Amino acid sequence: MNFESETILKVENLCQFFKLGTAELKAVNNVSFEIKKGEVFGLVGESGCGKTTTGRTIIKLYDATDGNVYYKGQRIVAGTKTYKNNIAKKREEVKKAISTLDKTCVDYAEKKAQIISEAAEYVRAQKEEIKKADHDRKYCDKDYAKKIMAKVSEEYLTLIQNAEGKEKESLEKEYNNKLRKAKHKRLVTEIQMIFQDPIASLDPRMTVRDIIAEGLIIHGEKDKKVIDEKVYKMLDLVGLLPEHAGRYPHEFSGGQRQRIGIARALILNPEFIIADEPISALDVSIQAQVINLLNELRERLGLTIMFIAHDLSVVKYFSDRIGVMYYGNLVELSDADELFKNPLHPYTKSLLSAIPLPDPYYEKRRKRLVYNFLAEHDYSVDKPSMREIKKGHFVYCNDAEEEKYKKELID
Amino acid sequence: MKEVKLSVNNLKISFRTDAGIVQAVRGINFDLYKGETLALVGESGSGKSVTNRAIMGILAANAIKEGGEIIYNGQDLLKITEEDFHKLRGDKIAMIFQDPMSSLNPIMRVGKQMTEATLIKGKLRQKESRKDFNDMLALLNKRMDEARSTPEKIEENRRFCRSFDKFEYKHLDLEYSYNKATECAETALEHINDILFRIEKHSYANVRRDLFETLKIAEKSIERYVVYSRGEELKSLINEIKPHARIKFSEKFSASVRFLFNKSQKSDSERDADWQLISEKLTAVKEILNEALNYVKPNFFVMGYYLTFANKPLPDMDIESLNKYLRKYLDDDFMLHFIDIAKEGVKYSHALSVEAKKSAISVMEENLDFFRSCEDKKEALQKAQVLIDAVEKSIDKLEVVKDNLLCTFKTGLKTSILMYFDGAIRNAAEEERFNKQTAKRQALVDRGKTPDYMVPEKDLVDLDNAKQDIINLILRTKSKLEKDVKESGNEDFDQKVVALIDFFKEKASAVVFKVTKEIAKNRAIKLLEEVGISEPRKRFRQYPFELSGGMRQRIVIAIALSLNPDILICDEPTTALDVTIQSQILELINKVKRERDLTVIFITHDLGVVANTADRVAVMYAGKIVEIGTAEEVFYSPAHPYTWALLSSMPDLDTKEKLEAIPGTPPNMIYPPKGDAFAERNKYALEIDYEVQPPMFKITDTHFAATWLLHPNAPKIELPKQVKERIAKMKELQKEA
Repeated sequence: MNFESETILKVENLCQFFKLGTAELKAVNNVSFEIKKGEVFGLVGESGCGKTTTGRTIIKLYDATDGNVYYKGQRIVAGTKTYKNNIAKKREEVKKAISTLDKTCVDYAEKKAQIISEAAEYVRAQKEEIKKADHDRKYCDKDYAKKIMAKVSEEYLTLIQNAEGKEKESLEKEYNNKLRKAKHKRLVTEIQMIFQDPIASLDPRMTVRDIIAEGLIIHGEKDKKVIDEKVYKMLDLVGLLPEHAGRYPHEFSGGQRQRIGIARALILNPEFIIADEPISALDVSIQAQVINLLNELRERLGLTIMFIAHDLSVVKYFSDRIGVMYYGNLVELSDADELFKNPLHPYTKSLLSAIPLPDPYYEKRRKRLVYNFLAEHDYSVDKPSMREIKKGHFVYCNDAEEEKYKKELID
Repeated sequence: MKEVKLSVNNLKISFRTDAGIVQAVRGINFDLYKGETLALVGESGSGKSVTNRAIMGILAANAIKEGGEIIYNGQDLLKITEEDFHKLRGDKIAMIFQDPMSSLNPIMRVGKQMTEATLIKGKLRQKESRKDFNDMLALLNKRMDEARSTPEKIEENRRFCRSFDKFEYKHLDLEYSYNKATECAETALEHINDILFRIEKHSYANVRRDLFETLKIAEKSIERYVVYSRGEELKSLINEIKPHARIKFSEKFSASVRFLFNKSQKSDSERDADWQLISEKLTAVKEILNEALNYVKPNFFVMGYYLTFANKPLPDMDIESLNKYLRKYLDDDFMLHFIDIAKEGVKYSHALSVEAKKSAISVMEENLDFFRSCEDKKEALQKAQVLIDAVEKSIDKLEVVKDNLLCTFKTGLKTSILMYFDGAIRNAAEEERFNKQTAKRQALVDRGKTPDYMVPEKDLVDLDNAKQDIINLILRTKSKLEKDVKESGNEDFDQKVVALIDFFKEKASAVVFKVTKEIAKNRAIKLLEEVGISEPRKRFRQYPFELSGGMRQRIVIAIALSLNPDILICDEPTTALDVTIQSQILELINKVKRERDLTVIFITHDLGVVANTADRVAVMYAGKIVEIGTAEEVFYSPAHPYTWALLSSMPDLDTKEKLEAIPGTPPNMIYPPKGDAFAERNKYALEIDYEVQPPMFKITDTHFAATWLLHPNAPKIELPKQVKERIAKMKELQKEA
């Protein structure tokens, strides 16, 4: 299989910083992972660790500071901080180099010119990169549409050339049709988000029909009949009745409201869904209903889901692979079962030890492990990075820790 | 038998809304024992929060208290006035709310919010303690006069009581400065530990600034009874370290320049050596403070007495022997005599009350038949007043521990009499309303329309039952009185006098303890540390929005604890938090409960959380308790289908198959179902479940459940597969461990 069909989303060194006065808040710092087609990728961590920010940056609700996100091979998010930093660094270097040059030297002017021209070459390259990134950020939709158009024409043009008579006519018609559709294809429709709070994320002044159909209308659907039909289909899909379409969100219970949120996300036939804590705000008996619904939809529509949550037992139940985040860093990434069986990073261990279970005997003896970053790691000399300890099991560590973890796995 | 702190009997609460009357709580009963944690579990709308709001007296304005009682400390909380509630709320019963963001004031600094209640209540407490103290002392004096009625003896009584009044006020300054110094020592110790850790880890950022603060605090701990022999040593040590600390905020600029300069001059190893020196000195300071904290606490009570009446300065000796010496002085000079004299007064008062009890019993016997046959409201109320007077008279006011039954007799009798006589009128009105509405609806149906409303069921008062309630209350009180009279011979008066003296001591120290802003701040900072907030002095000046969710919840807990309550109500304190913080907060609540001997009501919908904290669990559904028992019973042998559903609807770490969701939604409580409220969503529902509400079936002495499945005639139903498997797994784990 080629790259596109296997990996649906690729996140590369994603950084999202926020300005806090003069300081910078590193909400997401150098996070990389891949999501394969058809899987559920869980992202866990305590509140404030940047999991929601990651989701929002991927769907371009924020402008990324640095790093890239590729969706089906098309770069959709591109940050420019590295290039800018590079340029600044280069300029500093040049200044230093010039100041150390011997001014009395014969070829002083020559050397200086050489240094400057070399630097200018480098800076130009970096600026080129920034331009590219800006272009990708702005026009990724159109590029994506062009790509699909190219694919379609490649497929049909040869066919049309070879065909004759009526066949050719019908093929041409089909070709034009497909080309038009491809032209209007928009990337944004393929990635959708389900929000955490079903009360805050639905406009109280819109009926359910308007809420669900809003995306369709924005993307150019004008036929009322088609809209209604699609809305009813979606309502049916998420377990609501067509007559609910005329009501307002406040008339529904929490679970039903979350279903409306799901229907809104699904109406544009997305392939990839970012579910941001979809069950945290719901009642116990309703939570199970929503989890079952998501599971069912995933199987029926072949969705790929990025599931952000802090309830570990739900994440374990629902996800195929899990990434653990801690203060903006991805510290561990592994298969769900593997992660719960062999947690390696001390933070993951502490997180797992905090899960409450409905068993008084277990609970009264449960010891919560405390994770203290300063006490656990010494990163003053050896800088850490993401390393593969076992196949498909990545941990954020340095050399010494890598050895330790490998040993731990064998034992 | 454990002491019952709070008991809720047949509580019924409704809310008036536009759509009709919503029955939120429909007759729940539970007792709360001292020192336990009772968890109320259920989904939103099951009435668990409403119950607790009723206990706190903060129900919304549209609430109707339909009946029942909440008894705490001899008072029915449903019937006392708002002014009385002010004395309880926060002081005795405190609450932690669900959402820490909305329960904190966003525009007030954390410190102000924490000290607000302490300051307000401090004044009130002082005033009330003074009143209590004076009332009790006057009463005792009166009884003593009556018991010892010769003139010279009366003179003696006066002397003792007056001296009691006087000397307590003396030890204020001593105790205050002692407390402050100990607090400072404790705070300084923790700071020093923190700084030592940071020095060890070579992270020197901000250490100089913190060092300065710490030294300032440590200096304050030098006091006569705290660091009393090694004060000079500590002072010299502090003076030695001081140059290394950042001195003043105004000098920050020059200091930072100096610091930068030093940095460039000194190499890393030199700097480390510098810090090493500081850390050694700090360890010495730590030792001194540690030693100081282990000293015995001086007895300020006796000191106060000595200072008032001996007219001599305190002898100079170490604390232990000083304590002994003063104690002896007090006992010889005052206490032993006082106990003897006071005992006579207490004895006399007791004898009086026994007499009154005997007469109350006879009054009750006379009037019992009257209440059995009475049909006139006015007459009944008059007779009731006679009974109430007799009972009120029979209460021994010198007793410190109050009797719940006798104290609530007044309100109890009055409400049950009104219930009976007004019930007849209300029943007629209700009947009329029902007939009218049914006829109206029937007319609509006859015209071929389908009305969009249902007629609410008749809500009738059972008159026979109401009457029986009156009789029962009188009989219960009577038997209690008889028991008291019978046991009156073997009372331990010495113990009673000691309890009385303790009462005086406690009230006196409350009078003396003026809460100033500084004290409130110190207490708040100590509390912040207790609830696990680092750098409390910094947090004290911050606003709530600057803190994370867990921090905020900790502050809410600290505020709830600031007045040292008896009962703590936690209304979903961890729902808005994530796992790690959640378990930290649970640990914190468990810790403060243990340390302060609190009684906790814990509301939540997460069964995992319940298993962690609860001693007993009550599962609520649609305004009723459907199952109640100890945590082990409810989790290992659940009996109600709703509990089964709750247990099986959440995935645990091993769940792979489809989840067993509870279908549908909770019933609309404007039209509560006739039978079991859970029947609609229950796949094990029997036919009778739709017709008759199940009573509480007893399973063990502590385990009750309201489901017809427990009736002897019901078909045997196995536990659902998932629940069964899970319990088996739990048991296995237990065996392994």
